[in-house]
Amino acid sequence: MISLNVNQKVYQVDVDPNMPLLWVIRDFIGLTGTKYGCGVAQCGACTVHLNGEAVRSCVTKVSRAEGQKIVTIEGLSENNDHPAQLAWQQIDVPQCGYCHSGQLMSAAVLLRENPNPTDEDIDIAMSGNICRCGTYLRIRKTIHIAAEIQKTKTKTAV
Amino acid sequence: MKKISVMMVVVLVIWMASAFRDRNNPFVPGGKDEKMLKDSIESVKAFMKVYKVLMSPRCMNCHPAGDAPLQGDDSHVHTMNVVRGPAGTGLYAAKCSNCHQPTNVPGLHAPPGNPKWQLPPENMKMVFQGKTPRQLALQIMNFNMNGHKNKEELIAHARDTLVKAAWNEGEGRLPPPMTYTAFVAAWDSWVNKGGYAPK
Amino acid sequence: MHQLSRRSFIKNAGGTGIALWLGINIRGNGIITTTNIVATNIIESGNFTPYILVESGGGITIFNTKPEMGQGTFQSIPAIIAEEFEVSLDQVTIKNTNGEKPFGNRQRAGGSSSIRTNYTDLRKVGASAKEVFIKAASARWQVDESSCYAENGKIIHKPTNRNFTYGELVADASKLELPKEPKLKDPKDFKILGKLAKRPDVPLKTNGSAQFGIDVQVPGMLYATVARSPVIGGTLKSFDATEAMKIPGVEKVVQVERIMGRYHSVGLAVIANSYWTAMKARRMLKIEWDNKGYENFNSVDYEKHLRELSGEEGVPDKTIGSVDSLNLPPEHTIEAFYETPMVAHHTLEPINCVAQVRGDQVEIWTSTQVPSSITGSGENDVHKYIGFAPDNIKLHSTFVGGGFGRRLNVDYVIEAVSIAKNFSQPVKVLWSREDTTEFGPYRPMTFSQLKGGFSEDGKLISFQHKVISPSFQEGMNSQFDIKKVDGTMVEGIGEQAYEIPNIKTSYVRADFHVPVAAWRSVTSSTLAFCHECFIDELAHKANKDPMNFRLELLSKPSDTKRVLLKMKEFSHWDEQLPNNKGRGVAQWEFFAGLCAQVVEVTVQPDQSIHVDKVFAVIDLGEVVNPDNVKNQVEGAIVMALGAAVKPGITLQDGKCMQHNFYDNPLIRIQEVPEVEVLILAEGGKVKGVGEPGLPAFAPALANAIFAATGNRIRKMPFDLKKV
Repeated sequence: MISLNVNQKVYQVDVDPNMPLLWVIRDFIGLTGTKYGCGVAQCGACTVHLNGEAVRSCVTKVSRAEGQKIVTIEGLSENNDHPAQLAWQQIDVPQCGYCHSGQLMSAAVLLRENPNPTDEDIDIAMSGNICRCGTYLRIRKTIHIAAEIQKTKTKTAV
Repeated sequence: MKKISVMMVVVLVIWMASAFRDRNNPFVPGGKDEKMLKDSIESVKAFMKVYKVLMSPRCMNCHPAGDAPLQGDDSHVHTMNVVRGPAGTGLYAAKCSNCHQPTNVPGLHAPPGNPKWQLPPENMKMVFQGKTPRQLALQIMNFNMNGHKNKEELIAHARDTLVKAAWNEGEGRLPPPMTYTAFVAAWDSWVNKGGYAPK
Repeated sequence: MHQLSRRSFIKNAGGTGIALWLGINIRGNGIITTTNIVATNIIESGNFTPYILVESGGGITIFNTKPEMGQGTFQSIPAIIAEEFEVSLDQVTIKNTNGEKPFGNRQRAGGSSSIRTNYTDLRKVGASAKEVFIKAASARWQVDESSCYAENGKIIHKPTNRNFTYGELVADASKLELPKEPKLKDPKDFKILGKLAKRPDVPLKTNGSAQFGIDVQVPGMLYATVARSPVIGGTLKSFDATEAMKIPGVEKVVQVERIMGRYHSVGLAVIANSYWTAMKARRMLKIEWDNKGYENFNSVDYEKHLRELSGEEGVPDKTIGSVDSLNLPPEHTIEAFYETPMVAHHTLEPINCVAQVRGDQVEIWTSTQVPSSITGSGENDVHKYIGFAPDNIKLHSTFVGGGFGRRLNVDYVIEAVSIAKNFSQPVKVLWSREDTTEFGPYRPMTFSQLKGGFSEDGKLISFQHKVISPSFQEGMNSQFDIKKVDGTMVEGIGEQAYEIPNIKTSYVRADFHVPVAAWRSVTSSTLAFCHECFIDELAHKANKDPMNFRLELLSKPSDTKRVLLKMKEFSHWDEQLPNNKGRGVAQWEFFAGLCAQVVEVTVQPDQSIHVDKVFAVIDLGEVVNPDNVKNQVEGAIVMALGAAVKPGITLQDGKCMQHNFYDNPLIRIQEVPEVEVLILAEGGKVKGVGEPGLPAFAPALANAIFAATGNRIRKMPFDLKKV
């Protein structure tokens, strides 16, 4: 039995400790916001926060996450109102939307560590997240908006 | 009597002068200097083996000249725009440990792993890429450029988990050009015999 | 969505017993005729497409029959109806349909057709529904219809300000006839169309709640992965699953056939209690494949073969004037040969399908572009392959994590049902990224031979474009007459607006055993590159500015002329660029629409090319959601850039050499140029949005590189570091 703390809730899962965290989250805990895109850490669709860091759950063994603090896209905010989520909604960033859970989880770490990101910072932080629909220009624009929103919000970002 | 003491002084002076000779070309046959010469030659020979390993992708890829790690047997710049970051651990959502796990991820082209996966930090880059053997040897023996390692720590470094990781290369990657045992033997020999730099 | 029946909709209507469905009656070949008032018996006859549901309890639902795959139909289709129906999208519930019969046989999204083939009819649905409610209200009030108007889901009597909500009028309205030719709004009165409007699916996509096919979870569900022949064209010969079956959690190993048009291949499915377990077991399978000789196939030799075939006459496509009788002197002619690669779709949501068989019923959950093909009763619909009566097929059609033409195919649905037949539980078949890359289908390559010739006085009077390629139609349909031209493979090349008195386009078909599929903008994605780069070569031969050269070939009014004139201004074409920069232009008109692009590049000190900026002018006729149009064009440019400069798909020893994003990379954020989009929506024919932004990019880029460096590129992909 492996104990996992996901979005502040504790789950007991009976899985092989070598199973990637992604499949545990999706198939065993049932949180499907975190996506499978490539399975080899190339696309970032599987990004979750492990103790606040944006790890790729498709290559992270569930044993690494045992007892740690895991946050998925469902737990990024209570009301879909993380500054990044608000910014994403403000300018209709997603197209098909499949990559955006991962994009948001990566953006959240950037915004936490750099409240005034430049385009170069954004390119460094977000280059690991693939968007096949090509919404990159919007992603860059919206992160600047998110930074502004973050400044005005009293709530602390994740 | 006076003649013998003068000669003794002369011999003494000549002997003392010889003690301050160029270390790279010491010579007293059968004595300490001959040992030093032999050591320096063997040390350099050992370093040329070490150099082959350090300049192979498994080591050099994480000792790049630029701001990004290198990747693959052809040492291309690591994809996905990842950068060193001040601590050498990457930046934001592209930190090394975001993808590189404590152990290798199985499968071709899956990220290799180690608990300490990172580059040297910005203020102590320890660059291998582009260095000649002489430059690299001098750099590693330089306390101010080698991460503040003394001789004991240099010896210990070859036993470091991240160094050993080069030989746990994962599927589809070339290991360094000699076995770990051979590398350690060459490293120890180089350091212990004086850490000489080739010309 | 359940199959509609009298009983179920009364239940939906909250027990009030009355609800009103309004829609379009589609006959025969799909030409929209009249709108009909709804009553349940008409729904059950299936001869009807109900788009609006108004409940007497007050709820209004608008149905979207075009699967949402990022192109925005979840908002744009309802928006057109809502505009004329005088409701705001905030007041309605939008529901995606699931291939149910009452919603008709055009529940499919592809070919940039969702709006352009339905625009006026959807407006008529909304308008005639509104008029019916005005009629009902005015009857109730005993006033003149002309004294009433509709706003925000209410009918208001202007003089007295009394009003009824639509819900309050349902009973009365249901007794009336829907007007056949309702009056449509004056566009200057539009509140939704052409304005900044938010897409209601966006918040679902920012918190992980939007459900894609891959996210579907049905209680008791098993997971399956399929080992398919690594040599494309091979099939299963024998296998030993003993080791695989030993892994705890593995249920069964079964054979399964993959069918895609002409392509048939048997693979081996492992079914287990989790995807990861099934994958583990799949690696333990010992399989012998019958490669059928296809192990000798490789891309290098095939490309040589295509080059050799270019000497053949081929089948004529379009002939204008007489190219062959011109006998132009060689110094007045140029000739060029262009080559393009196969590429993969790489929908970020990998292919997947859940199926559950219960006796003679089957229930399917998947991301698809073609719900109507899964539930339909047509000749080529899924029922034929899976052996279930169409009425016994129930589909749940989710948000789609990328279609791009891949999900027009139903091979993976057929596979899933075939596997599910071995179980009573639902089975989710999941394709890994490697599966999705290695087994096709792919966009077929096209090679092009182009020739052009000038008259004595320097006019372009002769143009030939011969396409040499595998045949898409043949791949889809073994009955296709290969003596005829495959119209898909020559699309657009004979239809550009340039006024050239002698044109000859033709097609040479090449044998190809690999499954092929439409890839965003279909064959225009490769043909526009060849065609528009060659136009540039002709401009260069004539010593003319490429923009002016094109405009000189467009003396008569045409959409292309209008677009290029706008582009000349929009892109500041006549402004000098510094020496290390260059710009190129291209345009493409095809079934999906019309778009021109100008690309600006800089030659870096290390001689690599930086793509700086793209100007795009897209001709739409009418625009529904302008912000979404920009998103689509930006996205299409990114996709086109990837296809132009990143390695394509190659085969060796019969196997695909690419496996995942590390060897078949996609464009990432730092590689994207600036993009500025100008929308032309000045009335006239309604044109599409999803695909037109793609074909013009690669030729505009190659033309810009030529302008900046003097190097002519005739082959995709090309490496921006080495041109």
